[in-house]
Amino acid sequence: MPGVLCGLGSVAATAVGVILAVATGMASAADLEVTVHDLSDEPLEDAVVYAEPVGASLAPSREVAHVKIDQVNKEFVPLVTVVRTHTEINFPNSDDFRHSIYSFSQPKIFTTKLYSGKQAPPVLFDKPGLVVLGCNIHDMMAAWVVVVDTPYFTKTAAGGKGLLKGLEPGDYRVSVWYPGPQFTPGTSQVRVAADGNSHFAVAVDSSASPLPALRARAAAGTGKARH
Amino acid sequence: MRIQRLRTRIIVFFVALLALVQLAAFALVNAANSRNAHQKIEEELSVGERVFQRLLSQNAQNLTEDARLLASDFAFREAAATQDGATITSALANHGARIGAGAMLFVGLDGRVIADTLAPQRVPRQFEYPRLLQQVPGSGSAAHVDIELLSGKTFQLGAVPVMAPLAIGWVVVGLPVDDAFARDLRQLTSLDVSFLQNSGAGGGGWRSLATTVGADSEADLVRYLPPTAVVTSFVSRTATLAGVDHQIRVVALNSGPDLRVVAVLHRSLAEALSVFARLRNTLSVLAFTSLGLSILGSVVIALNITRPLSKIAGAAARIEQGDYSHPVEISRADEIGVLASSLNHMRQGIAERERKILTLAYQDPLTGLANRSRFSEDLEAAISGARAQAQAGVSILLMDLDRFKYVNDTLGHSVGDHVLEQVARRIEQVASAASCIARLGGDEFAVLLTGLTPECVEETARAIIAALESPILYQEQPLDVGTSIGIAHFPEHGHDAQTLVRNADIAMYAAKRNKSGCQSYDPHYDTHQQEHLSLLGELRQAVEANELRLYYQPKVSLHSANVNSVEALLRWHHPKRGIVSPALFIPFAEHTGYIKVLTQWVLAEAIRQCGEWCRAGLRLQISVNISARDLMNRELPDQIAAMLEHHAVPAVLLCLEITESGFMEDPAHAQKVLDRLAALGLRLAIDDYGTGYSSLSYIMKLPVQELKIDRSFISRMIGNADSSTIVRSTIELGHSLGMKVVAEGVEDLEGWNLLRHFGCDDAQGYYMSPPLPAADLLAWMHAHDAPGAPRAASGTETAHAPPPVFAQRL
Repeated sequence: MPGVLCGLGSVAATAVGVILAVATGMASAADLEVTVHDLSDEPLEDAVVYAEPVGASLAPSREVAHVKIDQVNKEFVPLVTVVRTHTEINFPNSDDFRHSIYSFSQPKIFTTKLYSGKQAPPVLFDKPGLVVLGCNIHDMMAAWVVVVDTPYFTKTAAGGKGLLKGLEPGDYRVSVWYPGPQFTPGTSQVRVAADGNSHFAVAVDSSASPLPALRARAAAGTGKARH
Repeated sequence: MRIQRLRTRIIVFFVALLALVQLAAFALVNAANSRNAHQKIEEELSVGERVFQRLLSQNAQNLTEDARLLASDFAFREAAATQDGATITSALANHGARIGAGAMLFVGLDGRVIADTLAPQRVPRQFEYPRLLQQVPGSGSAAHVDIELLSGKTFQLGAVPVMAPLAIGWVVVGLPVDDAFARDLRQLTSLDVSFLQNSGAGGGGWRSLATTVGADSEADLVRYLPPTAVVTSFVSRTATLAGVDHQIRVVALNSGPDLRVVAVLHRSLAEALSVFARLRNTLSVLAFTSLGLSILGSVVIALNITRPLSKIAGAAARIEQGDYSHPVEISRADEIGVLASSLNHMRQGIAERERKILTLAYQDPLTGLANRSRFSEDLEAAISGARAQAQAGVSILLMDLDRFKYVNDTLGHSVGDHVLEQVARRIEQVASAASCIARLGGDEFAVLLTGLTPECVEETARAIIAALESPILYQEQPLDVGTSIGIAHFPEHGHDAQTLVRNADIAMYAAKRNKSGCQSYDPHYDTHQQEHLSLLGELRQAVEANELRLYYQPKVSLHSANVNSVEALLRWHHPKRGIVSPALFIPFAEHTGYIKVLTQWVLAEAIRQCGEWCRAGLRLQISVNISARDLMNRELPDQIAAMLEHHAVPAVLLCLEITESGFMEDPAHAQKVLDRLAALGLRLAIDDYGTGYSSLSYIMKLPVQELKIDRSFISRMIGNADSSTIVRSTIELGHSLGMKVVAEGVEDLEGWNLLRHFGCDDAQGYYMSPPLPAADLLAWMHAHDAPGAPRAASGTETAHAPPPVFAQRL
């Protein structure tokens, strides 16, 4: 449900963008479809993709977005989240027991007290970078939040595909990052064509990533999930 | 000595055996002991090593647990994640103090040492042992603990990741490896521990890190470690450390490329073995004691066996010497006792058998009297006894049975045996005072009398004769056997047994001839004793040296005065004595049996002569005298046949004259030989008829053709009516039996005439001619046949032809 809501949110954002673009009577915005593979050509899900225009600056976001990261069955859901700077993230606790979320990552260092349900106040992420979340009580809980300055960001889905919408034609710096020990996204220069959709495929080394292990543990614990 | 050897052998054997067993047992036990001791030490070391390893790993575990404790502390994680170096260091130091760690480090993900409590100033630097940090981030466990050098000191190092929530770095904890550590280990394992390290190729050997023993022991220890750094744990070996034997075991602790750290566990052998040394001493004492007892025991057993054995051997030696009187005195129930009693029985058996053998040796089995050997021995003993005491009184009686031969041969041996037995009993009865009564063999008996006067001896002899006069009954048939006894006394009749016996024998024969019953020896019987002995030798010589001659006395026919036959008479031309009369040597030859040789010679010569005469045209029958002995010779007929053939003489020209008594000695046997001789074609004549014991019925059966009347009758014929009658009847008897009658010993014309008157066929005597040598006989024959020979005028007997005149006798 929250994922759907998130998805709806981004669709809504995109729709607004499109309407704005149409309203201003600017030239037509294009989509950039990005496909991420790992080194053995398997599609990678949950890869973070974002694009920054080359040479142009971006207008800062005017309002604060709201994103939710739930805790279900001792797992963060979703495991990987991409947000624009100045996004507040809520951490509803859907488990029977309390969690205490913390982060020692530079972009955002915070600690919540032990709470259950919706007691935790939302946290504003106002600096770009990688934030690794953990739970104080449950050592195996971890999640990644990538905070980016650009509105053009997405997370690849199961097929390894992600769509960046409403890009003006031009050159963009596309960064791709798959959860790993260091935050070192791989960047590529991509030209977005004026008409039609552009495609971009990239391969990423996912061997050192702890994400598959986490996901596996999540899949194993699904049976006990509460709604 | 035999016994000694057996005893010694038993003892030596048993002692050797027992010693061997003891030694073997001792050696085995000792070896097992020693093996046990070493095994025990080995086990101790092995256990010690396991404990040691366990301690080390427990230590490591504690280490990592402590580190994990720290690494999961939220505040520490916060400090670590925020790269707050000072906070991290202080937190590390605090925690390290709590757990007694000598060093605590925080190493970042990139391998850089961010905090170091041991050498705080040496940050940042690259962590020297990155492989300690190799493990999956997020797993939360430390896989690796090693002993390494940090800032020049040795530590047991372990690393634990710090998760926030993902690994952000490692906490490295180090516990020092020093003497205290080693002592702790010794406390728990009771083994001495030495930690040594070798820094590799450029290091320069093994360096001591920590130890529980002195430096000199450690120095010695180094010698037992391989010089190169590569070492793996090896099984224990013996090492001498500071002069004391130890068992050491090396445990390799570190497998890094640069540093080799080993722990050497060791244990002093001396104390470990002390227990076993005590055991071994006890064992050896036991071994010696039991050996001593065994020696004693075996000596006792040996004596127990060999003493009785030597007794038994002594008894056997006594038996060997012939002493059967002392039994072995051993009464035991075992094998030796059985042996002893067997020996005793054997002794008795031997004594008994010896007695029997002696009996047999000296006893005549038929009669139970002593035998010849016994008699000789007794006689010799009596003689030596008498000689020693310078006494006389030893006499022997020698006797044989007169008519035994007749009984034995005619009636059979069982009868003969019975007779002998009875004779023996009778002699025993009569001569009970005799020292020895013996049967010498055949029908000869001897009696030894000691301490009796010659008169008593003669009395005894007469008593024996009297005793044997009554017939002996065999199955109620009376048998008559008489005896003749010869007596010889010591020392008159001889000084030794042989002489006495011979003289008694001579006396016996004298008694037989004279039919006087018993006769004492008289040297006269033996006058020519010496002569006789030499005579025999000379006789032999005579035969070989041709000293014997045959003289021939013609038998003149009373009817025709012709001479058709001659009698061959033996003459001996002795080189020294001259002509020896046959009366002197013929009886002697007959007695000694030499007559056979003489007869052979006579026969051969006569037949030869006959053959010679035959070839010269003169057919004269030669009569040869043969004795009764010659008649016993079964081969005589064959011998004569051979001689006749050899000389080509017709058998009819040979006549054998046998005396009447000669026939009667062994009539049955004589008959057979005579028949064979007759079968050859010889003529046979009875010589000296009228003087022997013949029976007419027997005469009738004999194949004789001639009867010669004994000269005694012829010489008494003239003037004695009885003799004359006998002569006449004898002539008629002879004629009626178909025999020719010859008169011997015609000495005068009267005799000649009377014999002619009686019808006698031939005459032989000195009146006609004495015996003449062959050549002289021929001469006589010529003279006798010469037609112009003057004849003597006869006397009254004119009915007959005038008697011939005979040449003067030579």
